[in-house]
Amino acid sequence: MTVFNFVFKRYFKRPSSIFFLLILPIALVFLPMGEWPPIPLGFQYYGILLLFISVKLTSIIMIDRENKVLLRIGVAPITHFQYLLENLLAYGIILIGLNMIVVIMGSIVYRESFNYYLLLFIIYSFFSMTALGFSLAWYSLFQNKDTATSILSGVIMLMAMVGGVLWPIQIMPVILQRLAMLLPTYWLGQSITFLAFRAPISEQIIPLTMMLIFSILFLIVGSRRKII
Amino acid sequence: MLIAHISNGVKRYGTHLSLDNVDLDIYQGEILGLLGPNGAGKTTLIHSLVGLLKIDSGVIEVFGKDQKKNLLEIKKQIGLVTQEVSIFWDLTARENLEFFGGIYGLRGEVLKQRVDEVLEIVGLSEYARKLPTKFSGGMQRRLNIACALVHKPKFLILDEPTVGIDPQSRSYILETIKKLNSEGTTVLYTTHYIEEVQSIASRVAIMDQGHIIARGTIDELVRKIQYEEKINLEVIDPTKDLISKIEKIHGVKQVVGKENIIQIISSVESGNLDRILNIARESGGVKSVNTEKPSLEDVFLTLTGRKLRDGGEDSYDS
Repeated sequence: MTVFNFVFKRYFKRPSSIFFLLILPIALVFLPMGEWPPIPLGFQYYGILLLFISVKLTSIIMIDRENKVLLRIGVAPITHFQYLLENLLAYGIILIGLNMIVVIMGSIVYRESFNYYLLLFIIYSFFSMTALGFSLAWYSLFQNKDTATSILSGVIMLMAMVGGVLWPIQIMPVILQRLAMLLPTYWLGQSITFLAFRAPISEQIIPLTMMLIFSILFLIVGSRRKII
Repeated sequence: MLIAHISNGVKRYGTHLSLDNVDLDIYQGEILGLLGPNGAGKTTLIHSLVGLLKIDSGVIEVFGKDQKKNLLEIKKQIGLVTQEVSIFWDLTARENLEFFGGIYGLRGEVLKQRVDEVLEIVGLSEYARKLPTKFSGGMQRRLNIACALVHKPKFLILDEPTVGIDPQSRSYILETIKKLNSEGTTVLYTTHYIEEVQSIASRVAIMDQGHIIARGTIDELVRKIQYEEKINLEVIDPTKDLISKIEKIHGVKQVVGKENIIQIISSVESGNLDRILNIARESGGVKSVNTEKPSLEDVFLTLTGRKLRDGGEDSYDS
């Protein structure tokens, strides 16, 4: 589990990690209540933050590829699959830990039922996997980290807007509403909306399944890129 | 005993044949210098040997085992020093070594001890807690080598490990490789610096355009192209009689006198140097003598029709 252990060592060495993993999420929790859906804005926007944090996390793989460290790892008695798995496991644990902190903080600030926060935690955890898969797939398309990240922020914001995370999807043209279903952020938005309106848990099955499918598809695309 | 063996190795990139029916044996305990210009196929050969690339056809055996079937097992005993410095820039020298030792299965006290040993070998003990971004180019190269040594490989492959560094670091690295070899590590050393190969290799393979075009010890390779040697003789009294006597020696092909210097072209290994010196001593005495033999560079030039560093981007400055 050397790769797994060193992810923590490397990620928490970066000063920006403190900002992304502590200051930003905590600040989000204190955002006011939204009008539509009726849920604290922080809970609504947290999905976007998850995408940005995933991008920061998976950039470690991109940096290793750029620095040719992957070449050296490729010569070691460790498979490419094992390397990816250990990385993704570490990233997943970091994100799930963060989700837990945000949900617990939220439960202190906004007093809702235990089930409400449990479901919120599950939604975030599903979307964390999707976000990690998306970042991995995105980086696999590029040779160079700077090129990959230069337009990534724009892509994430576009996904958030079209997916209905920033505003109700109903205000958009019908064609865009349909196209939005091809984005993982749409299913996150749906899930959060169902939670806000206290829909039955069974309503969550489709959006959570879609997030899972997106995770698997992204991970397949992202893991196809080999060492050299 | 064979450490690695590749036969009929073929690797294509589209229409370009990067390895063209390569045959190569690497024996236990030797330093094999793999010499060739940029684009000769050296790195492709190395990457194929360590399993980073799959050859299109041919057989690779390492430690007597089929590489395809036993890749993970083989990898445990191979160390690769990459052409570019491939280390974690956000980890200290010690952490880098701990990582690479860790992925080879070293743990706890064994790992710590091995990291200390390797830092000592490459002369970076004092800088163990520093980030490589603070290192000089030579120190970074040494850390790059250390990362390949931490698991104590039986077979060390170095892919142009001294490109772009200062003479002192280059010399340190070459001495380190010699020391490792004397302790039992088999080394495959690729470079396009002939001087390095002459300094450390016990055997040389010359590669060009995907082929191994020659192999053997440096003397064997030189002998392949060596038919004549040039003897420069500085004498006290360069008389016509002396020149005439030298010309009559069997195997002497040409004698040219210019002031006190007599240049003689003679068949190689004819024993003529002794004869010439005896005659010169009897005719007044010898001030100095030197012979010019073909170098490895001449071997390369003869075999490929071009210089090793034609179009090369850097120079050997030691």
